[in-house]
Amino acid sequence: MFKRLRVNTEPKKIGPDLGEISISQLIGDASLPVTIRALNSLPENAKLRLYRALIPVQVLAGFDINPRTWKNLEKIQQVKLDAEQGSDKVKIHAWYGDDPQNEFFYLELGDNQYSGIDLNFLIVNNPISQKFRTDYDDEGIETLFGTVRRNLPEEVKAMQAGLAPGQIREGLRCSNIVFTHVETFLTMMAHHAFFLEPLTYVSAWIFEKRGFAYSKGHQLMDTIHKEFQPGGELHKALDGSTPFRQPDQWQTVRGRAWAIHDGILQVLDKKWDGLKMIKQVGRHAGVSTFPDAEY
Amino acid sequence: MPQRYQMTRAAELESLSVFRDFISDCCTSSNVPKEAVFELKLAVDEACTNIIEHGYKGMDPGSIILSFRVEPDRVLVQITDFGHIFEPASAPKPDIEAPLEDRPLGGLGLFLIYQTMDNIDYQTSEDGNTLTFTKYIKRESES
Repeated sequence: MFKRLRVNTEPKKIGPDLGEISISQLIGDASLPVTIRALNSLPENAKLRLYRALIPVQVLAGFDINPRTWKNLEKIQQVKLDAEQGSDKVKIHAWYGDDPQNEFFYLELGDNQYSGIDLNFLIVNNPISQKFRTDYDDEGIETLFGTVRRNLPEEVKAMQAGLAPGQIREGLRCSNIVFTHVETFLTMMAHHAFFLEPLTYVSAWIFEKRGFAYSKGHQLMDTIHKEFQPGGELHKALDGSTPFRQPDQWQTVRGRAWAIHDGILQVLDKKWDGLKMIKQVGRHAGVSTFPDAEY
Repeated sequence: MPQRYQMTRAAELESLSVFRDFISDCCTSSNVPKEAVFELKLAVDEACTNIIEHGYKGMDPGSIILSFRVEPDRVLVQITDFGHIFEPASAPKPDIEAPLEDRPLGGLGLFLIYQTMDNIDYQTSEDGNTLTFTKYIKRESES
């Protein structure tokens, strides 16, 4: 009955999880993925040579930071690599000016339990744009991007200034080039894909445009779009009851995102949680859950 | 040059008709014979139904990516999902000899795919599960 069936139910070969990598492994089968943990076992300069590829030179050039030395014109270090031996994460921070807290770029990649790579964080801000204190509440406690606490007055100001939930400054609008760099780096390391969890509706929409598909949550995104249409439950819930639920917000990605950040999905008995997206290396999935969207 | 098409939709039953229309449109523009179009739609329908009903069971459904490549003598279809691993080899074979009233509902999907398609391949890896099948075609001008 079965004609020329070939089944491979085992995941493809994975990189040796030895906790360290040797030259013999590097010059061995180039199709074997290399984990972040293995890369982190390399000597500091070797790590630096490899991980340097993760931060686009165009982004650094915009702040007069030398992409090779990571120093500015005054020879002051402006980028920090955090890739400790034994860790399964790599973090790269870049900042503008004297204060390392004044980050404009932060990227964190980590191994996941499925031999793949998670993009845990990506922040690319314009450091000279106005800063909104949405990351701390009025008692000075971190809001974790407004997910556990909220600073409502600052959020209102941020929304009126055109920011999306979770942003403290406007973005640098260069996620496309950053993703190209991440994808190229992961191709060098023989990975097939990388994963992330979109923090907000805006993030998910941007990642769709960058070629991501959903491993979880595509149906939720379709439901959100449908229910924001006139007559839908989310459209009805844009009742002006809070600054984040104004009647015209269904028309834009940002408007929807602020309403979702404000908990509007409760009317559907759902919440913004558990979405997971995947970018297959070399493939644009072509997902568009908000066709012809206005940002 | 082969003609390539791709569509991504959520793994939900409403997507099935969208996929069927997509296949019809692609095949029409590529002059694929009508009998093959019918079988391709049937096979994609069954494969996607399996993904919707079993692959994403218990999860908030993710995406199904349907890719389609039309070459002069064959059509290659690739269906990718990110749900649970589905093992075609372990699926029970339906008893097509049994009386209708004794047969369980469903279970014919894989049977239909294997009956109508040619090479069939299923791969799982960190970047999802991919079912690939080929349908050899004869253009009307050749028959």
